[in-house]
Amino acid sequence: MGLGFMIGVFGVLILSHAAYSTIQYRGLLKIMEEEFSGPPMNVVLELLLGFFFCIWAALTVPGNFLSIHPESEENRLDYLKLMLFFIHTSLAERRHTLEKDSVGY
Amino acid sequence: MAGHSDSSSSEKKSGEAMTDVPTFSAENLQNNMKVIYYSRTFMSITGGVIAGIFGFTGFVGFIFYFLVMTITSIGLIAKAKFSVHSYFDSWNRIILDGLMGGLMSFVLFWTYPFFKLRTFISVT
Repeated sequence: MGLGFMIGVFGVLILSHAAYSTIQYRGLLKIMEEEFSGPPMNVVLELLLGFFFCIWAALTVPGNFLSIHPESEENRLDYLKLMLFFIHTSLAERRHTLEKDSVGY
Repeated sequence: MAGHSDSSSSEKKSGEAMTDVPTFSAENLQNNMKVIYYSRTFMSITGGVIAGIFGFTGFVGFIFYFLVMTITSIGLIAKAKFSVHSYFDSWNRIILDGLMGGLMSFVLFWTYPFFKLRTFISVT
């Protein structure tokens, strides 16, 4: 997560620099009385790089996916604990029923 | 004897079919939804900033948003190792969830920060 976070911060910094560069470029175009048709090529490359860094961070920083199936390997311990609980409860109920029958309720 | 065992096995199969309800770990599913939400929100903001820098206006901006979300969805499917049903109960979770919520963040960062930055830099 640490590396992904640093890559995300770097991506945000690159995007900030691209934004600043574009603002300066637009200011220059205003002085030259020209229309803005898009940022210069070096800013476009910066944006692409920043985008890929940000998407890498977006996919790695929030955490991993966890399997939702109880019988999967990573959930195995929880699944076994649950099964043990059910068996214990079932046996306790059966013993209670047998005791009731033997007393003669 | 064979008939009796056949009927008992068919009863067992129909009994199993009636009680065979798929069970999911709700906690893990919720965790996975949270991961998708954070990823989509961050990418919406990033996409908004990029759209603002490019100077997209109108319909083109929204097309760009859906392009960014498509790339994010592909990334999320790859993160799930292309076996979506191990982590989610349906494909809609990973493709559609968080789409409209992210749109608001996208529009905010598409229009507001770039405008404010320009005002700030032109004043200084």
